Amino acid sequence: MIRDRNQVCTMALLLVSAALMGDVAARTADVQGHTFPALGASDERKVEIAWNRFHDHEGLRTILTRLNMAFPELTKLYSIGVSSEGRDIWCLEVTARNVGNPDRKPGMYIDGNIHGNEVQGGEVVAYTAWYLCHQYGRLDKVTELLDERVFYLLPMINPDGRDYWLHGAHRMSSSRSGLEPTDNDRDGQADEDDYDDLNGDGYITQMRKKDPQGRYKPDPDYPEYRMVRARPDEPGQYIRLGWEGIDNDGDGRINEDGRGGYDLNRNWGFDWQPNYVQYGAKDYPFSQPETRAVADFMLAHPNIIGAQAYHNSGGMILRGPGRAGGDMQRADERVLEQIAERGEKILPYYRSMVIEAELYTVWGGSVDWFYGGHGIFAFSNELWTRENLSKRGDGRSENEQAEFLQHVLLGDGVVTWQPYEHPTYGSIEIGGTKKEWGRVPPSFLLEEELHRNMAFTLYHADMLPLLRIADIQVEPLAAGLFKVWVTVENQRLVPTRARQDVIHHISPPDVVSIEGDDVEVLSAGRVVDRYFKEVEAVKRRPQRVELESIGGMAAARVQFVVQGSGPFVVTVDSAKGGLLRKDGALP
Amino acid sequence: MRGVRVAWKVTRSTYSRWRPIPALLFLGLSVVGPVRAGTYDSHEALAKRLAALGKKASDAVHLRSLAESPGGRQIWLAELGTGTEAERKTRPAMLVVAGIEGNDLVGSALILSWIEGLIETRRDDPNVAQLLATTTIYAVPRLNPDAAELYFDKPKRETLVNGKPVDEDHDALVDEDGPEDLNGDGLITSMRVEDEEGQYILDPQENRLLIEADPAKGESGRWRYLTEGMDNDHDELWNEDGPGGVNFNRNFPFDHDFYAVDSGVHPVSEAETRALADFIVAHPNIGLALTYGTADNLLETPEEAKKDPGRGEPLTAIDEEDVSCYEALGELYRETLGLEKQQDGASEPGTFSDWMYFHRGRLSLAARPWSPKLAMALAEDEDKSESEETSDEPEAKDKRNDEDERGKEEREQLTWFDEQVPEAFQPWQAFEHPDFPGQRVEIGGYVPFALTNPPESLLEGQAEVHGRFLTELVDRLPRIGPRRVKCAHLGESIFEIEIHIENTGFLPTVLAHGERTREVHATRVVLNVRPEQILSGTRITYLPVIEGSGGAVEARWTIHAPDQSEIHFQVVSMLAGTVEGMIDLRDTGNYARQASSVRATRDDDPR
Repeated sequence: MIRDRNQVCTMALLLVSAALMGDVAARTADVQGHTFPALGASDERKVEIAWNRFHDHEGLRTILTRLNMAFPELTKLYSIGVSSEGRDIWCLEVTARNVGNPDRKPGMYIDGNIHGNEVQGGEVVAYTAWYLCHQYGRLDKVTELLDERVFYLLPMINPDGRDYWLHGAHRMSSSRSGLEPTDNDRDGQADEDDYDDLNGDGYITQMRKKDPQGRYKPDPDYPEYRMVRARPDEPGQYIRLGWEGIDNDGDGRINEDGRGGYDLNRNWGFDWQPNYVQYGAKDYPFSQPETRAVADFMLAHPNIIGAQAYHNSGGMILRGPGRAGGDMQRADERVLEQIAERGEKILPYYRSMVIEAELYTVWGGSVDWFYGGHGIFAFSNELWTRENLSKRGDGRSENEQAEFLQHVLLGDGVVTWQPYEHPTYGSIEIGGTKKEWGRVPPSFLLEEELHRNMAFTLYHADMLPLLRIADIQVEPLAAGLFKVWVTVENQRLVPTRARQDVIHHISPPDVVSIEGDDVEVLSAGRVVDRYFKEVEAVKRRPQRVELESIGGMAAARVQFVVQGSGPFVVTVDSAKGGLLRKDGALP
Repeated sequence: MRGVRVAWKVTRSTYSRWRPIPALLFLGLSVVGPVRAGTYDSHEALAKRLAALGKKASDAVHLRSLAESPGGRQIWLAELGTGTEAERKTRPAMLVVAGIEGNDLVGSALILSWIEGLIETRRDDPNVAQLLATTTIYAVPRLNPDAAELYFDKPKRETLVNGKPVDEDHDALVDEDGPEDLNGDGLITSMRVEDEEGQYILDPQENRLLIEADPAKGESGRWRYLTEGMDNDHDELWNEDGPGGVNFNRNFPFDHDFYAVDSGVHPVSEAETRALADFIVAHPNIGLALTYGTADNLLETPEEAKKDPGRGEPLTAIDEEDVSCYEALGELYRETLGLEKQQDGASEPGTFSDWMYFHRGRLSLAARPWSPKLAMALAEDEDKSESEETSDEPEAKDKRNDEDERGKEEREQLTWFDEQVPEAFQPWQAFEHPDFPGQRVEIGGYVPFALTNPPESLLEGQAEVHGRFLTELVDRLPRIGPRRVKCAHLGESIFEIEIHIENTGFLPTVLAHGERTREVHATRVVLNVRPEQILSGTRITYLPVIEGSGGAVEARWTIHAPDQSEIHFQVVSMLAGTVEGMIDLRDTGNYARQASSVRATRDDDPR
């Protein structure tokens, strides 16, 4: 509504400048028709996303929704549950929905961001969805993956922690927890003394105070970037006072009971131990809505046989067990080692490691629940290693990091020390590195990290069992009496059931059966030696033969002795390997 | 924390926590109300009894549904105690749970009778009224109503588990072979089949019973011993994959057997167990729990841990400092029952009671309130006490050879049933079984629930005895109270104050394992002063354990109080209640002034 003359004038001016600008816009806004593909990504983009930054819960949901709308034949989007604060936990199911039954394809589960601050896992998972959708029908490998497998992509299984870290003032390691109020200092109040962004810059950085008895001093070479200890015989200049904050509850301590205060990746229902043994375990296995939602989801999807969780940081491809003496069958470990070995080639500076032996003890972690509890071949990757800073593998050194901050990031990543009047400590200084420094990559390295980690997980998904009824042989024994040999082939590395699954009866056995209107099964068995025709007969119910597992890059053979005539159907029903049917006929 | 700022002194440290306590020392409770028991309750009957109780005593009985079972039944929890919910939640509390294993009907009956008795007697007995004003009782009489309902069903079938489908025989078919009532007597009993493939022989001394054939003795099996039913899925196994399910008392996280067929897909997987676990977490004032079921740590005190597990390692046996509490309460239990010696205890993986101790750090008792063996032992003890002179006679006559020892317990048990409850054992009767054409098949044996629940005729006596024990248990909760405060005027506006807090209950304010788990928070004293007034000490002061039976600790501060004449304080114990008090600064210089200057505003020392 125009109220006065001045406004009319302003409007006119705006219109004129808009007309002038229009020409500029036409020349700059749209590059369509003027771009060319770089290898690795399709140039045709139904959904354009800048992969060099982070997205909050709503941002990633928007990406998933746009993919879902652009690729309805490849995707299904749903929420598997809600977090403590009521945020949806989104799953984008990606598979060629018109090729086979999505619920019966071998399933690859991928999650990110179970720790709120480990945000780039969310982008890896969303990038995977984006990549798969755009490359389907373009790259043979991706087409095969979506025809034969189903991907369950959950970019944020701790959406509360993610949003709290992205939106709030934080340090690189805070907001790991979910956000159910928890009384960490056992004083009868929950979450009453969190960090405080005293200088209001949106970051939680360090506090220091000039003090003749202090033992620290600024690094002589990089005074803005780091503090170092004074030599033993040299006076220092500062004492360090920890992370930015005050004593909110007057108990004589600072930042001792922040929001949340537990670890969702210690809350899983396998090899779980309570808080006094495993910090962060929370009240009981799956006590939290986030882990419980994922557990219920996985139990409802018994076709899942591969799993990947994205964490940060350190550049690791981690597998179980999480504790000394935990479950890991040798046959399964060989499969995991094989996949991780490929991963080390795909991911520079990443190392394949066993959690309990080479990292630290974890009770109640997701990888153990996946593998130990459900026979699912699982990894968790610790994304980002500072070795990537120098690309020489020595990026972990303090000097390399200071160099990088100063000369590659041109100072971005650091809050310059500024004076502050603290209620307890008096005159102090606040400053140090920002939360985005250390555990997540800088913008220009982020896209590389997303792609390489995805490539590793796609290799893992490609190695999941791929079954084929290779052959049905009918051999007459007498008039109306036949021997039928069925050969079921697994064309990939991962067996249909892990050794762990078989010995603990986790999922049902694979069942090969034969059925026909005029076909009666007299006897059946597993073929032990195909050349000497040694067969181990099943004792009862000969129409169905139970198999423990169909091994990786191997075949299983089943013999049916049948009488009758006419067509029959052979069915292979493997919970994790898929459901196959093939027709045959008796002469 | 910045190190210790207050010097602690545990006064009366010579007080033994385990000093035998005269029964009902603290509240003088002696009356158990008129016991109303005699029949087992269906879910509907149980709900009606609870509702009637809630109506009769709406100020003291608060009912809530914890969850709904898959069968559509409410899991009831009755909370006893007067006052507001907030008050009840900070008082010392005891939890009793029954029906956590599907076949436990007796536990439900005991709990119902007991709480009805308390409400009945409170008008006449001020001690009971006082108890309900200072203590909270949480009662879950039946956690698995779906399974318990099978007692009232036809056919009557006994099961420990809920109705969740489970592929017990791992053949990719679910619940495909359950039992059937073949002879139409309304009961699922047993089936014995004369068959060379069988593993059993008839007990030569009692041919109603079977014993396992021992090849070392040259025996070969002649009988199969099965549950009544058909081989529905033709796999030559009988009733190996029937309906259900999950045993709630194997579904808790301590020592959970992940792959057992009845333990659930993971710990706390069921709606019922999760609701109970959530309730426990939300009610940290529970200091003592008693669970009825197959696990038992009262008939026999479990072994204690040989050493501290060390940092980062779980405790797997009762802490040696806590075991004496279990011993004392086990003794009390056996004494109340009239049992002279310990009997075999029992532990199972994944029980609720073990979770409450090992993970939640609470004193947690488990009782199998009745079994034929216990009934026989009690009868024997009674006989002995009636005829003292024969009790010392050697048992030479009972010495038999090894062969005769086999099946002895079962024979004695059957004799007991023959005398007491003859209908509990159905005679074997021939049956033409289609799965065994031409073979001798007999159906009979113990009727469902006979071995696990007392006959209804004994229920009333059971309820009376166990009710007495439960009332004594509540009386043993920890309970803090002020012993005295001291205030010294040091000059100008500087005061030294000292607060002594004692535990007038029996249990300590925190068990050793409660401290280890850190699930039981330290008792804290909060002074209502400004931080800058404190010259020594801390505004919030955490107290070490206060032992039961009159143990005490003290805390001390130096305070700068130029413009006030009194200081208010609060003592909060997670398990032993809350005390609020006031220190009169004008009333100084006089040590050992009794608690007169302490005005406890709620949950006062009940003495």
